[in-house]
Amino acid sequence: MPLSSANSNVTQVDFTSLRGRVAPGATIIAVGGGKGGVGKSFVSSSISIFLAHLGYETLAIDLDLGGANLHTNLGVSLNTRGINEFILDPSLSLGELAQPTHWPKLKLISGASEVFDIANIDEVQRSRVMSSIYNYKTDFIVLDLSAGTHTSTLDFFLMASHKVVVFTPEPSSIENAYRFLKASFFRKLRRYEHQLQLKEQIDELLGNRGAHGIRNPADLIRVLVEREPVLGLKLKNILTDLNFEIILNQARTRQEIDMGGALQSVCNKYFGFPCGFLGGLEYDNAVWQSLRQRNHLLMSNRQSHLYGQLLSIARKIAKTQSLKAVV
Amino acid sequence: MSDRNEGQTYYEILEVKPTAGPADIYAAYQRARSTYSPSSPALYSMFTPEEAQALMALIEEAYQTLSHQARRREYDVKIGLGKAPGAKPTSAYRPEPASREEAKPGRTPVGSVKTDAWVGPVKVSTRKHEDLPSGFARTKFTVYEVKSDIENEIENVAECDGQFLQKIRLYRGVTLDQMSDEIRVIKSTLVALEANDLDALPVAVFTRGFVVQFARALGLDERKISDAYMKFFRAKKT
Repeated sequence: MPLSSANSNVTQVDFTSLRGRVAPGATIIAVGGGKGGVGKSFVSSSISIFLAHLGYETLAIDLDLGGANLHTNLGVSLNTRGINEFILDPSLSLGELAQPTHWPKLKLISGASEVFDIANIDEVQRSRVMSSIYNYKTDFIVLDLSAGTHTSTLDFFLMASHKVVVFTPEPSSIENAYRFLKASFFRKLRRYEHQLQLKEQIDELLGNRGAHGIRNPADLIRVLVEREPVLGLKLKNILTDLNFEIILNQARTRQEIDMGGALQSVCNKYFGFPCGFLGGLEYDNAVWQSLRQRNHLLMSNRQSHLYGQLLSIARKIAKTQSLKAVV
Repeated sequence: MSDRNEGQTYYEILEVKPTAGPADIYAAYQRARSTYSPSSPALYSMFTPEEAQALMALIEEAYQTLSHQARRREYDVKIGLGKAPGAKPTSAYRPEPASREEAKPGRTPVGSVKTDAWVGPVKVSTRKHEDLPSGFARTKFTVYEVKSDIENEIENVAECDGQFLQKIRLYRGVTLDQMSDEIRVIKSTLVALEANDLDALPVAVFTRGFVVQFARALGLDERKISDAYMKFFRAKKT
């Protein structure tokens, strides 16, 4: 298992514990999903727009370092400064980099720039980005993540309270999205197994999967809880907090939309904690057509079915926030 | 039962709430069947075909139990649902963090459910099903001594009148008041039913409904009893 926290340096540990104690300045929504081209940027831009529409101050951040195109999806011209400058210049703050968009309540920090080796940031830089995002005060922050299961992508994903994963109904997307979820799961497991002193136990269980009848994370946690009721349950609660939320994009038929529920059920059974299904999005040619005009679909084509589908997803996310706000 | 569903109730397997009605359970079953069928794309890279097959078997097993009212009731008691408030759940339920309890259907902690909507008010004693001495059984209301001759009579009934219904009711130790409360039929109608006072009873379709409820409350095969009674009812009425 390459996801070892044994070599984590001091900076990262400091920030992780800080992130655990302080409440975030905003509700963070991370949009990930393994494969490229499934519509992560489209989904995250649409969610940000609708959240802004619903009256929430929203900040969209393009964390697809090296493959940024959230600004294109939002129909915003390329700014000279974005997240890359933030990474390279420690004196900058996120607030200074947020650029306005067509929507008054929506701000964007783009990821595009002329710095070309930015995709590989080190742990110190990553921690600084994460804690700045964590402490940024607004209503919602939407993170557009890159494809793949790079550790920084996983860390950005795990810091969010809404971990949205985008599927399309094709096997390659499904496989990659599942892999992304599995990688996130193990990344989080590895982070906490040390703290809870369960590392030896877990390593032993994973080493002898066959003997313990462990076929998936749900089995692992179940066996662990049987062995170590107190710490095991603690870990289980921490992992239950993962609570992945699924969006099914580019569905072309009714059956494909129904697949969202199936994906959710499979995740529930595989991981052993409840995952959510935020909704299905129909395939619509208007998406790329409006993109070609450097417009967002929601500006140029309001008749699309997607309008209602995206609105309902944004409402679902906003609902949890307003519930929290009352408390 | 395979070890895979350890700690998982049939409700969790079908991903429905313990309060779900028959229609919800049927819909969940259909959903689960298509999700875990061998051709389902959602399984890809998560479950092997053999694992999916095992899950499918579990889903069938869960549906067999939950779709059948009597079996479901029995199962509810077994896993600690449908017990008096405050009774300890007997299932392998483990608490989830509080914030998730309401948000997720199908994962509602079993122990927190006080009443099961479709069973009606629950009046089961806190004692467990299994710790009854042999030769005793229970209804929703009380414990009764099993008498094989009456059980045989019930088993082989082809036609019966109201007195027979009364005999079973008394044998199972249920009072008229309890029955009236349980099945929401006024007492005078029940008295008329048991006294074979057919003129005081409504038309056949309603009377049959009462008998079905009556039999169900006593934990009997409602179909058999109602058919047997309706034979008598029709013969007398014409």
